[in-house]
Amino acid sequence: MTRPVIELEHVTKHYRAGGGVDDVSLEVAAGDVFGFLGPNGAGKTTTIRLMLDLIRPDSGRISIFGLDPRADGIAVRRRLGYVPGDLVLYERLTVRELLSHFSYLRGGLPWGEIEELTERFDLELDRPIGALSKGNRQKVALVQALMGRPDLLVLDEPTSGLDPLVQRQVHEALREAASAGRTVFLSSHFLAEVEQVADRVGMIRAGRLTAVERVADLRSKSVHLVEVRVAGRLDAERFRQLPGVTSLDVVGQTVHLRIAGPLDPLVRELAHHDLEDLSIREPDLEEVFLEHFGATAPTEPRREAPTHAP
Amino acid sequence: MHHERRAVMLHSVFERAFHEQMRALAGWAIGIAVYCLLMVSVYPTIRDNTSITKLVDSYPKAFRQMFAIYDFGSGPGYLRGEIFSLVGPLLVVILAVLWGSDLIAGEEERGTIDILLANPVSRRRLCLEKWAAMTLGVAGVSAVFAVVLLAVGPAAELHVGVDPLIAATLATALLGIMFGTTALAISAGTGRRGLARGVTAALAVAAYLVSSLSGLVGWLGPVRPASPWYHALGVDPLANGLSWHPLVLVALTLALLVLSVTAFERRDLAVS
Repeated sequence: MTRPVIELEHVTKHYRAGGGVDDVSLEVAAGDVFGFLGPNGAGKTTTIRLMLDLIRPDSGRISIFGLDPRADGIAVRRRLGYVPGDLVLYERLTVRELLSHFSYLRGGLPWGEIEELTERFDLELDRPIGALSKGNRQKVALVQALMGRPDLLVLDEPTSGLDPLVQRQVHEALREAASAGRTVFLSSHFLAEVEQVADRVGMIRAGRLTAVERVADLRSKSVHLVEVRVAGRLDAERFRQLPGVTSLDVVGQTVHLRIAGPLDPLVRELAHHDLEDLSIREPDLEEVFLEHFGATAPTEPRREAPTHAP
Repeated sequence: MHHERRAVMLHSVFERAFHEQMRALAGWAIGIAVYCLLMVSVYPTIRDNTSITKLVDSYPKAFRQMFAIYDFGSGPGYLRGEIFSLVGPLLVVILAVLWGSDLIAGEEERGTIDILLANPVSRRRLCLEKWAAMTLGVAGVSAVFAVVLLAVGPAAELHVGVDPLIAATLATALLGIMFGTTALAISAGTGRRGLARGVTAALAVAAYLVSSLSGLVGWLGPVRPASPWYHALGVDPLANGLSWHPLVLVALTLALLVLSVTAFERRDLAVS
């Protein structure tokens, strides 16, 4: 077994103002795409800044490529590309100046490769960064992270504020990196994004890592929230009997229900009704937490304890 | 102007630190040059106008001591009073403190430091390169004093020697660099620009007052060697030329630089 690229052991970091992370342990193997999922302020950025030695843990051990990010910071960061969560770039530099500056700091990268990336993301090299849209700045950050093909990409909400087209470009670049055997650590507060690109996902909430799961497993547990308004007679019991329905609520002619697993039985049942309105949505992250890791899931007794992947 | 592939490639942190301040530095240099030219251009009038020299002589002693205005009849005396006692070094100290406090904490407050330090660059190197840029920039701007005064001195009949002028300019530069490094040390240790500026400004004022008033206020005499301002300009380099005194500033600067690096390496970087 080769050593994991990222290892966190019981890492704790508290801020005087509150917040931080509490006893976080996780591993990311080489070549894995790890999605780090959690609401804003849950500790995602803190974890990432710890990995980069921008801040130091109160206790616990961090190792990247088997090295200590503090003592061997240069060696670690030489193999690491990073997109910060609160992205601020040097407004007065042009894209070219910024990229040549960072390329120099990385030991001089082939300029042709950098231009390939800027062309791919449709960036104009000689525009000042201050004149770029938020999306284009994000692309600049992505280019500087990808350039030099680092072994590990650490991306803190890299698609926030991007339009869907560019988001897709970013996801594509991440999948490419992954298929080239590089490791990706991607933080996000969108379940859908993590589902699309990650192999494994860690969920963090209020500074605690609540679960680490394979995305495939998560998907099989996926829950939908359904709202149906029917004309005429409504037999709520028939919905309640459907496989996978975990909670149900009737308000007048409207049924609210929560269903896990395949939707096929529901769709077939709906065909017997005279529908006035129908909405089916995936629960947002908060609801997923409630569903799977039952902080306070009132409608449900609970099926299994949170699983901790190795 | 031809717009070919004249790519501007920016490299080290040192280069960028300069690049960012280029316009500001040019502004400071021009301002200092203009100030020197103005002062020198009125010198002949003041020297030849006995009523002004008499008026100056009639100022209270404390006032004259504080602003080093005595002997307006001679070129060196005039330069000391009008340029090197307060305004000149003050300008250089302000430039250095603004810049020194911004080197690390500015990037931190603006939020650029995370992406910068994600590169394989040590905090020590970042600190040293930025300090070197500040030091060179402050020295360059200070050099304007010597260059302008040497250039126009003969025409204005200042009768000031090359050595004393260089000694005064060097002292001014070293004083600025020392306070710039003080501001760097405080801001590198705390990440707070405003705090660094405030504390350093207070220290600079105290240093100036101790140096300028120590001849007047008896009990300040023994404290005088603790004032960097005394070792720079209190020892009157325009009259006495080069001496060992500026070495005190060099030693202080190096100690503060070591402190800056150590403090910066130890702490958590602030979130923007």
